[in-house]
Amino acid sequence: MTTSSVPVSLAEPAERMIDVRGRRVRLAQAGRGEPLVYLHGSGDLGDWTPALELLARDFTVYRPDHPGFGRSDDDPSVDSVLDMAFSYLDLFDRLGLDRVSLAGISLGGWIAAQLAVLEPARVAKLVLVGPAGLRADVPVPDVFTLDPVRQAELLYYQPKIRAVAMALAAAIPDDAELFQRYLRNRMASAHLAWNPYFHDPKLAARLHRVSAPVLVIWGAHDRLLPVAHADRWARALPGARLEIFTESGHLPPAEEPQAFASVVRGFLTEGAAL
Amino acid sequence: MKIFGFHLMPYDGVPPEHFAGTDSSWVTLSNALFDPHRGSQLYQRYLAELVTYDQVGFDGVCVNEHHQTPYGLMPAPNVIAAVLVPQTSGTIAILGNALPLRDHPLRVAEEVAMLDLISGGRIVSGFVRGIGAEYHTFGLDPSTSRERFYEAHDLIVAAWTKPGPFEWYGKHYKFRYVNPWPRPLQQPHPPIWSPSQGSGETVDWAARNRYTYLQTYSDISTVRRVFDEFRAAAAGYGYTAAPEQIGWSVPVFVADTDERAEAIALPALSTLFNGLIRMPRDLFFPAGYLTPASAARVMAGKRALGSGDTDVRDLAGRGYAVIGSPDTVRQRLEEYQRELGFGCLCGVFQFGSLSHEDFTDSVHLFAQKVMPALRGGAPDGH
Repeated sequence: MTTSSVPVSLAEPAERMIDVRGRRVRLAQAGRGEPLVYLHGSGDLGDWTPALELLARDFTVYRPDHPGFGRSDDDPSVDSVLDMAFSYLDLFDRLGLDRVSLAGISLGGWIAAQLAVLEPARVAKLVLVGPAGLRADVPVPDVFTLDPVRQAELLYYQPKIRAVAMALAAAIPDDAELFQRYLRNRMASAHLAWNPYFHDPKLAARLHRVSAPVLVIWGAHDRLLPVAHADRWARALPGARLEIFTESGHLPPAEEPQAFASVVRGFLTEGAAL
Repeated sequence: MKIFGFHLMPYDGVPPEHFAGTDSSWVTLSNALFDPHRGSQLYQRYLAELVTYDQVGFDGVCVNEHHQTPYGLMPAPNVIAAVLVPQTSGTIAILGNALPLRDHPLRVAEEVAMLDLISGGRIVSGFVRGIGAEYHTFGLDPSTSRERFYEAHDLIVAAWTKPGPFEWYGKHYKFRYVNPWPRPLQQPHPPIWSPSQGSGETVDWAARNRYTYLQTYSDISTVRRVFDEFRAAAAGYGYTAAPEQIGWSVPVFVADTDERAEAIALPALSTLFNGLIRMPRDLFFPAGYLTPASAARVMAGKRALGSGDTDVRDLAGRGYAVIGSPDTVRQRLEEYQRELGFGCLCGVFQFGSLSHEDFTDSVHLFAQKVMPALRGGAPDGH
């Protein structure tokens, strides 16, 4: 969802449908430089956001719609986040991306972590933003019981951004095409994350396989996956760097896009010549 | 026309202020509100009420399956059916077993076969998906619901009709040995009914399989449209749907006068629609329970149902219930029968918060003054 009022000129990304083993994946792409694949969250309706625009100044940013989400085709072979990771290996092959950095948010963070476990050598650097995938011993709301407005209310911390997001969410059913995308995302998310709820009980024990440097970003006021989850990730990935965003809820790229882009740029360019 | 008596077995002990203070009477309404002593008495009373249907001459009784709600105390309809077998002589329609909610569909094949044998072949076997809220209850991914329903159904019918042992290798169920003992008495299997709120996929599926289609909780224009769709689908499959293949489930209440009937039934109907059915839309239609295309249509259409502020007099006027004196109820049902062409009426005579006395009086009045006329009437023009 685009909710920020940050003054960034949004250059239109190139959009295309990529055929991946017989199924079409919608891909938005912009920028130049080393490849960075952005893996979106479960409620993301497909907008090119200010945070992506900022990152595209220094990187070639790829933003696919996950199979079954947004405007990508369904993929009946995807029943789990592990299946999703395999489908992304096919997409990377198709794009000729031998080695990429990944930035995944929420559900997308879980997919990114699963990819880095599955093929560690393929991931240059890994950015996890409020990732799903691990369970912490804190209460979490059941988003599958919440309508879009209530979800937006929980997603955002800054009152102005939250108010805009709630108004946009309330209007979703009025736009037939947008409503379809919302319902597809909701269905595909349920298929991946209904039970166990947005996590894989086996993931923590497998994260030691990740070889790339890891940056974990969390919104201090995350009400969907409270910041206590960050401790679980820190324990499972002892080398990871943790950055807490103090003015954000679940979506730091939406609430603090410039700080987000700056932290991610610093991490990705560390030890490398641009 | 065949007349059945449906019973929801509502729990009547939730104080009304609890409904007002919550957005859901399903899944999350605390079972601390359930008083076991009251519950025990209710089962005795409700079983007697089901037997009353049989005693006054209904063709059969209907039970169903719902979970984690005071809406109905029948999470295991086969248990209720088993209790009814020795106390009744007519049909026992289980409407139905919620197939995707079972881990093992062969359990349903076995239990229904047992009931059919013990009852001497009096079982109607309804199959349903379970309502959306029940996918929260069982932590079951709703996006697999329809696939699991179809596959479980195919497996059960095969288990009933195909000599075992055979292997079932499906997407959701994989069994090396399918070979249930016992097999059902009715051959090739007990009649299968398909209760639904009218999804196009289900209507088509029921017509294709020549099952009895039963429409629940709808205004009369929806009932008309769905029955027409069912007949058209049957015609598309090369046959004419018999009236007995078309059923309508509707709350019915009869008293001496229209005024008295409304005075008793409307508050009970309000308890049903504004209390017991209350749930948020995302609980009612969870992610993937309907296809995105169906969801967009249904979620727009059902905004009023379960929101807690439904005008029940208006609902009754639109055909969600048939309430009145014997003459009024008879005339309305005869009109509906002529117009809609259904051959099975599943009257829900116990709903919301009706007392045992009001229920009993209503059922007796119906049996004496309404049922004979309906039995004689053949639907015209269908």
